[in-house]
Order: sequence, then C-alpha cells, then structure tokens
Amino acid sequence: MAMTEPTTPQPGIKRFIKIDWNVGALKAASPRYWSWVGMLVIMTTLGVLAWVVVLTTGGNAMAQRDNFTWGMWFADYMFYVGLAAGGLVVYASVHLFGAEQFRPLSRLAVLMAGLLTMIALLGDLTDLVRVWRIFWFVVTPNISAIFVYTGSAAGFYMVLCFVDLWILVTGVGGEKLAFRMTLIALPVAIYLHTTTAFVLALNKSRELWNSAVMVPIFLTSAVASGVALLLICAYVLQHYHVLEFKKSMFRSLATLLATVIITDLFLLVVEIATVYWPTAAKAGHTLRFSEFMTGPYAVQFLPVLILGVIAFSLLAGRKTRHIPAIQITASALYVLAIFFKRYTLMSMGFAIGPLGQTQAPYIPSLVEALIAIGLLSMGMLFFTLAVKILPLRVPEEEHAEAGAWELAEATGEPVVEPGVAL
Amino acid sequence: MGASPSTATRPTPGGLSWLLRAVVLIVLAAAVIAPVTAAFAGQASSGQLFFYPCTSCHPVNMVPGPGGVEHPSKPLPNGMQGHKIVLEAHDKLGSATSDACLVCHDDPSRNPGKLKLIDGTLIDITGDISLVCYRCHEAKYHEFRQGTHGNHKESCVAAGCHDPHTPNYLYAGPVKPFVGVGFQFKGVGQARVPFKPLMAPPLPPPTVNPTWFLIAVAVGLLAFLGLLIRLVGPVVVERLKR
Repeated sequence: MAMTEPTTPQPGIKRFIKIDWNVGALKAASPRYWSWVGMLVIMTTLGVLAWVVVLTTGGNAMAQRDNFTWGMWFADYMFYVGLAAGGLVVYASVHLFGAEQFRPLSRLAVLMAGLLTMIALLGDLTDLVRVWRIFWFVVTPNISAIFVYTGSAAGFYMVLCFVDLWILVTGVGGEKLAFRMTLIALPVAIYLHTTTAFVLALNKSRELWNSAVMVPIFLTSAVASGVALLLICAYVLQHYHVLEFKKSMFRSLATLLATVIITDLFLLVVEIATVYWPTAAKAGHTLRFSEFMTGPYAVQFLPVLILGVIAFSLLAGRKTRHIPAIQITASALYVLAIFFKRYTLMSMGFAIGPLGQTQAPYIPSLVEALIAIGLLSMGMLFFTLAVKILPLRVPEEEHAEAGAWELAEATGEPVVEPGVAL
Repeated sequence: MGASPSTATRPTPGGLSWLLRAVVLIVLAAAVIAPVTAAFAGQASSGQLFFYPCTSCHPVNMVPGPGGVEHPSKPLPNGMQGHKIVLEAHDKLGSATSDACLVCHDDPSRNPGKLKLIDGTLIDITGDISLVCYRCHEAKYHEFRQGTHGNHKESCVAAGCHDPHTPNYLYAGPVKPFVGVGFQFKGVGQARVPFKPLMAPPLPPPTVNPTWFLIAVAVGLLAFLGLLIRLVGPVVVERLKR
C-alpha cells in the first residue's frame, strides 16, 4: 500500500499526522455545499441545546418513565451500531477474502463505521443525564451487567475504525498491516454486535427479548442495513464526483444485500412462527407479540415486514437488481425497515411489563427527538467534511500492491485527487 | 457519704404497681397475639388445618412385602375419604370423592404421602412440590424457577404461596415481630378467566420544555428552512423552467 503523498505540490493540501488534508477543497466548495453544512450545523446545535435542557432540568425532559426505561437513545444505539457493521463486512471481505471489487469502498466503509459507532456512543452519554457518571462506569464496572461489555466494545471498535482509516489513508504498514487490522476488527465487530443483542436477549423477565435467535437476527439486520447504507452513500458520492465506482461493484453489493435481506427476513419469520405455533404457543408470549401484530404497536412493527418484503422483491429479480434506482430504493427501504425494527425491538421489552401491565406506546419527547436528530446531523456533518478533505479514493498503486500480495487481482482504478468540488 | 438529692427523692417502685404493669402488658400482648394464634390453629380454605404435615398423622412407610413388592406399613383406614378437602380451584381434576386426589397423590393403598411427577416417579410430600405443579402449569413453573413468578420463594405451596388443594388461596407469612405459620387469604377469584394483563399504570407526567429552548428551536428551524430553500430552490426552479 503506497503513501498518498501528492505527486506534485498542490495548494490547499496540508499534511498532518501523515494525512494530506485537502483544506483547499473547502475554500473552493460551492454555496450549495455550505448550505448543506449550515443545515447540519443548525440541527447539531439544536441537539446540543436539547442536551443542555436534559443536563439542567433532568430526566423529566424525556418521555422515558419508570415503565419505559429505555427510549429513543437505545433504539438509535442498536440502529447505528448495526449500520456500522456494513462497513466492516465490506472492508473485511477485501482484506480477508480478496473481494477486490469492494476495494474502492474500503476507506469510505471504515469512515462510516467509525462515525456511526461514535454517534451511537454519544447517544448513550446523553441518556446518562449526569454524564460525568461515565467515570464510575469505567472505574467500577459491574461485570455482571452486559452493558459493560457492549459499551466498552463500542468504544474500542470506534477507535479501531479510526486507526484503521488512518492506516488505509496513510498506507503505513502496507497491505500486511491492513490485513492484520482486519483480523482484529472482525472479531471485535462480531463481539460488539453479539453483546448488543445480549443486552436484550439476557433479560429473562422480558419475554420478547429473551430469545436465542436475537443474536443472529441482530447480526443479519446489522449487515443488511449497513450494506444498504453503504450502497446509498456510494451512489451519492459518485453523483457528486467525489468517488467513482464500477457498475460491477454495485452489482456485487446489491447481490450481497439481497442475500442478507432474505436471511434476515427468514429469521424474523422463524421467530414469529415460534411464538404463534399452536402446539408451542404460550399465552403470555403470544399476547405480548399480538401487541405488535394487531395492537397499538403494529404501526411500528408491520412496516418492518412490509418494507423488508418490498426491498427484497425489488432486488430479487436478476434484471431489476442491477438498475441503480432499484438498488437505491431497496436500500433506502431496508434502512428504514431496520430503523423501525430497532425501535420496535426497544418497545418489545416494555409494551407489557413483567407484571403484565400494558403500556401506552412510547413516543420520544421534543428533547429526545432533537438529541437524536442532532447526533445524526453531527455524524452527517463530519461525514460531509471528511469526504471533502480526506483522501478517500483508493489509489491505483494500492490495487497493484494488493495484487502483488496475492490477495486478489488488481482492478486498476483511475487516480483522482480527493476533494473534487461538490 | 450522703446520696445525691435526685436519688434521694426518687420513689422506689412498689411491688404491687410493678405487678399491675406486668399484668396489663401481658393482657395487651395476648390481645394482639390472639388473632395470630387463631390463624395458627385456624382452618385453611379446605376446611382442614392448612399446611399441616400429613406424615405426622400418617407415618406411612413402604416396607418390602412378599415377592419383593413394597406395601405400606400402615394403610390409610379410610382411603382418601378421611379428609373433606375442598377443591375450589382444582375441582377441574374431579370431585374430592372421585379420582381427583390420585392425580397428584399416590394410591391410598400405597403411600399418599408420595406425590406423582410427570414421568410417573414419586417424590416425598415434604420434597420439592413445585415439580408436581409443573405437570399442568409448565409456563408458570418456568416463571417460578426463573424468579419472575413467586419472588424467588423456595416452594410454590406450603411455606411458599399457594394452598396445594385450592391454589387460589394464598399463604401470607406472619407479620413481624410475631411468629407462627401466618394465615391464608383468597388471592384469586373463583371465576376462571384467561390471562389478562393488569390495568395500565397511571399516565406519566408531561415532559418539561423550557421557554428559551422552544424559542431556540423555532429560530433554528426557521434558519434550517431558509437554508433548505437555498439548497433545493434553484434545482426546483430549474426543473420548473424545463
């Protein structure tokens, strides 16, 4: 893997921590780019103000109450951690399995994984209300609480992603180090997603969470939504000439997405069938699940099935699967479906409490909604700036080196300097 | 050496007044304890002394008989008819004079102090009776074992909660500082109704949004809208021109 030093001195490029930051691209950015950045800054600021409200007035600014102790933040945590998986799958497939068609995506994928894990963790912090209590979480962890494992795993994974991105961008250590980083990152990612699913699955008093299929279904949903988001971002960046990809790359990504979506839907149907199977159904279990099939929570759960089936149907046909509009639509639908799924998953533990009390559906308060939107905007803001100033294009020589390393055959992408005007 | 004024003037309690106080205290204590002792000696819902160990009156032991077949050392004189057990909730198993007893108890000609498990094996009546409940109440048994039902009591019946013959009657321990075996009360109605969730808890209080925050949100959203128009406006205008 070669260093990404500019061959000729270019104005506006600053070298810091061995990375060529194309600061000049920001100066040359169009007014529309800055309008977009401004919108994200405003929403991020509103999110910060909402957090200030929580810090000053306490938890009563949130709609979370005794009987609905987790809310928007937890749904978002699961959602973002899951989305981060897509990046790793693509990145790992390049370095471990020689999927060279995904190599142009590797830097983008790792960047997204790091940012998504970051906003997932920040959501946790906002829920703590007195955020300085995180000190005690670190100093005196309760090792019997699964949150210790998922929280620390998310923190480690985030750092790992950013270190990985630095290695990819600078070329330090070459292909060999990138390969070794993948060997570390892949088990950590699986550990992160498993422990996140365990947060739910190990609650034996919450029947709909207490399922062994929770971990595999969590992993498939994570990979499906992550790949779908990556596909959307790749199309957006290609549209604005930030990155360029081959059509074959999108075809491979869409095929991978269709495979994971059907696996994810299959596991979900298996779970539903287990609950309602006549000879195995338990009264309390079916009654709880019926809240999500026909009850007041159906508006959260049914979109998971409907959007999921539509997304798969769009990608199922070999002819339609390779049409960009179809790919983008299916990806967007499935990302949305997985958001509903995470929100529903959060609600499933609380819809009927352990004492059998039915709860009204949880709707986030204004403060919670703005914190969630603010965090998302912050992630998008960092992403918008990063794609402008970071060298996310994979240079041609990297492909050649990868070929020499006999991981896969080099594809030969054209070298284009980063920071093309958006 | 003279005594201090305070000790010198303190009246020495007389023997009679001390006795009177003791009698009053004893009477008061007896009045308070009386209901508890009544509960101790009182009848369970079945009309019998509740949770009274059967084996104290029926020390039936199995002894080897001719041909190696075990038989009870002292068979019950009246079979299962010696007790007038009321099966108020467990009457679904049959009447008390029919084979209802045999659903759980071993044959009277053998040892009714033994209870039947789902696989046909017998356990002692002083053993883990919740295994007997498991035969029909599988889901509840699992909840009980997990601690989500029964608050981690050691047993479903006797020292636990339910009267085994009329499980809709619940056992309550004695209120401290009194000791005893507690009392029973009817915890579940007679009518059989399917599982129904409890009434929803009271509505949570509304969330708080400071005025300054609402103003900031309004201003922020207006600015956001302005930038959005700036971003997509030219595109929309261009498309309209086409």
